[in-house]
Amino acid sequence: MQFPILSLMTFIPLLGMLVILALPKDKPNLVRWTSVIFTGVPLLLGVWLYRHFDASNASVQFVERASWIKAFNIEYYMGIDGLSIPMVLLTVLLSFLCVFASWGIEKGVKGYYAMFLFLESGMMGVFCALDFFLFFLFWEVMLLPMYFLIGIWGGKDKVYAAIKFFLYTLAGSVLMLLAMLAMYYYSEPHTFDLLALAENHKQFLDKTVTLFGATYALDKILWLGLFIGFAIKVPIWPFHTWLPWAHVEAPTAVSVILAGVLLKMGTYGLLRMNYPIFPEATQWASTALMILGVINIIYGALCAMAQKDLKKLVAYSSVSHMGYVIMGMASFTTAGVNGAVMQMFNHGTSTAMMFLLVGVAYDRVHHRWIVKPDGSKGFGGIAAVAPVYTGMMAIALFASLGLPGLSGFISEALVFLGTFSNPKYQSYVVIGSIGILLGAAYLLWMFMRVFLGPLNEEHKDMTDMNWRERLTLLPLCVLVIVLGVYPMPVLNLMGPTIAKLLAALGVA
Amino acid sequence: MSLKAFLPELTLVGFLSALFLLDGFVPKLRENRFPLVWVMVSCLGAALATKAASNLTGPFFNGMVLSNGLSTFFRYFFFFSCGATAYLTLSSKEIDSRGRSEFSILLLCLTFGLSLMALSNHFLMLYIGIETVSIISFVLAGFSRESLRSNEASFKYLVYGAVSSGLMIFGISLIYGYTGTLAYPQIAEALVKNNGAHPYVFYLALFLVYAGFAYKISSFPFHFWTPDVYEGAPTPVATFFSVGPKAAGFGALLHFILTALSQKDGNGQWTMIPGIQLAPILAVLSATTMVVGNLSAIAQTNVKRILAFSSIAHVGYVLMGFVVMTPAAFSSIIFYLIVYCAMNLGAFWVVGIVTDLQGNDDVSSFRGLGWNMPFLGVCMAIFLFSLTGIPLFSGFIGKFLLFGALIQVPGYLWLALLGVLNSVVSLYYYMKILKAMWLERPEGEVKALRLPLTQIVGLLGLAVPTIVLGLFFSPVLELAQKWVAQ
Repeated sequence: MQFPILSLMTFIPLLGMLVILALPKDKPNLVRWTSVIFTGVPLLLGVWLYRHFDASNASVQFVERASWIKAFNIEYYMGIDGLSIPMVLLTVLLSFLCVFASWGIEKGVKGYYAMFLFLESGMMGVFCALDFFLFFLFWEVMLLPMYFLIGIWGGKDKVYAAIKFFLYTLAGSVLMLLAMLAMYYYSEPHTFDLLALAENHKQFLDKTVTLFGATYALDKILWLGLFIGFAIKVPIWPFHTWLPWAHVEAPTAVSVILAGVLLKMGTYGLLRMNYPIFPEATQWASTALMILGVINIIYGALCAMAQKDLKKLVAYSSVSHMGYVIMGMASFTTAGVNGAVMQMFNHGTSTAMMFLLVGVAYDRVHHRWIVKPDGSKGFGGIAAVAPVYTGMMAIALFASLGLPGLSGFISEALVFLGTFSNPKYQSYVVIGSIGILLGAAYLLWMFMRVFLGPLNEEHKDMTDMNWRERLTLLPLCVLVIVLGVYPMPVLNLMGPTIAKLLAALGVA
Repeated sequence: MSLKAFLPELTLVGFLSALFLLDGFVPKLRENRFPLVWVMVSCLGAALATKAASNLTGPFFNGMVLSNGLSTFFRYFFFFSCGATAYLTLSSKEIDSRGRSEFSILLLCLTFGLSLMALSNHFLMLYIGIETVSIISFVLAGFSRESLRSNEASFKYLVYGAVSSGLMIFGISLIYGYTGTLAYPQIAEALVKNNGAHPYVFYLALFLVYAGFAYKISSFPFHFWTPDVYEGAPTPVATFFSVGPKAAGFGALLHFILTALSQKDGNGQWTMIPGIQLAPILAVLSATTMVVGNLSAIAQTNVKRILAFSSIAHVGYVLMGFVVMTPAAFSSIIFYLIVYCAMNLGAFWVVGIVTDLQGNDDVSSFRGLGWNMPFLGVCMAIFLFSLTGIPLFSGFIGKFLLFGALIQVPGYLWLALLGVLNSVVSLYYYMKILKAMWLERPEGEVKALRLPLTQIVGLLGLAVPTIVLGLFFSPVLELAQKWVAQ
């Protein structure tokens, strides 16, 4: 048996949680440095993983497989392919950085970091699991730390935000649970093995189910059950209403994880399950998916433009940017799907920067108003007092709006390229590209109101970023620039897997 | 032979009588916790006797009681929950030295009645069992004599109990008129002879009989007493009510359906006797029970009332298993009862501790408790997440098995859909308790208490299985399958 690297990456944070719980209460710095170790080791393992991952191989690698519950043929089945490795790397990187971003947490430090490490375990598990039962377990387990992280360490309306997030996501997951059970019982032999289900996807065709007296095709119902579960996580309009609350009320680091990793689980799930297991139903739903993607782009951008709260603006920009992912996926072209997965990674880095930067400002002035609710000026001209901060924000913002030379451009260009090359969807590209324009509008307008112009005297004592904050942002900054110039390290990773996926779908 | 098969109950009665005499002749015993320890010892003895008698299957006492795998399971279940209740009463302030002996004696009597109920193979036996349980329950519900609420609880329980057993006995008389017998197997024979053509009055009779079961398991539309009784009764009593009598009701219902209304074919599958279609009705009852339970729980502010409505909702989930009627479904029901027992006992236990500490059991008295008493807070979180059905905890596996059984039956996808959506609703009110414990800070003076070791051990004894069964459930499931097959 080979070195169980995926299990190590998944369970080291969990071990860290137990260690932290055993630490004394009155030594917060000890807790913080322990968390650094227990997120740092998975990061180092992630680097090793990246170096040893065979990018030319489209099948799953680093497989670990053991029987777990015989009665239901449930396995402990871990493995990664080109689809999951970008997400795995993103997860370990952002988790490590977020430990530093949470340095300022003073209340219940022990509990905070314990929950945070628990969350990292859950996220890693979701991206590595290849058994549906195992996947579902990790998927749901993440909700628990998330609920407490938002609910205890969040902002003013944290309690409402936490329960809303929990209820929404659980509603999605229970539909997924039913779909999972149905997939198990309708497959021959009964299995939760995702790859085997994809292999024998034809067995779900030509079967029907009855619901409320009407008869439906089995594969479409299952597709929808899974889809709603994932759509809530993405979030796809109209399932997005939990997002602004959760993102805004969560503490900075948790917002970063939410936007950077958790949202990607939705699209990852679609590509991991809906696409390969129900290709026919995916074809059937592709136009709807495309329309939803376009709605996400435009709707998210318009909402972002209307926000007075900086963090809410970033939150809605996530809705908009996830729209590109949906669009690329729905295009059914190599370029489009590659762009979608690339966008999942790039949005992870750029939006993480944005949320971290919003957190930096909030830690100093304790508000996030672009324009205060009473109409008076919120921030304004803070470029004068915080030049480094402004520079970082500019990089994040331009990456986010897709300026050539920064990472966002590559993925958005690929998405549009791919979508345009599918003759069915050319008109959608036209509408979708308005989103780019709107994106530039709300981001630049925000930049103008917050950073440029005369300095608001209230903030004349605002200090620039300290070294901890600069170092936290630096890796993301480097990634955004490097991947903007040379995206191949990420594209190469996923290329073969996506080619295989599209071949299974009968396109490309 | 019959006596040997009845050994567990006889053991229980033996211990019970001994306690009765001891209490009479050595009045000093009630000063300390001896009676409660005695209850635990008797439960242990009865459980050992169950093990000894577990291979004796078949009808006994001229067909009055039926002993099979299911009986074995229910006996273990009752003895365990009775022992656990006695254990958690050890440090309860609501049951103090004045009432410990009476409480213990009543508890043992009640357990004896539960056994009779779940084992009955004859309507007369069933009725005696139900009445034994009911009458003792009335006394137990009103056990805090000075508390008005407790008196009210007792009275309400009595009124509802009288109505539903009246309905049931009327139903039984109709069935007697139709089939000419009260013994389950003979009823089945008589029904088979009629070959599918049953008069309408028979269905009416079935519904009336169901009233008796529904009252015991607190299923819609006979659930109204539950919140009031749980709220008013002393917490240890409510704890036992939420587990024991419910399971006994399910046991009796299972035996009734399997022996009187179905036939077993060669493959061990049960099929309903022609002309009897219970599945659609049970599906509707299951759906209404869980919807009513969950929706009513949302507005509650008292934790015991929340848990009471939640227990109604859980009855709805278990009833889903009855819709399916396969051995897999029955073992799911058994598994669900096992995990429900652990998590529900645990949740009620925490409520009992908090009630003793704060003097009342409103959600507000849980405020900030997680921070002051982390162990208690974590245990409660485990129990509540498990009750919601979040993976990692055994409650999820319970639901996983039940929904898995249901989804294989064509035409009941709607029920499964309703069931999972209900568990989302239930999250809301369970989180009300957790929110108070962890997300809010206490107002004013902070009361915290070092838990005695007995309680820590006991809570761990329930919390650990709740997690372990969520990850490795095969052995227990296999045991459940064995009991069903026997």
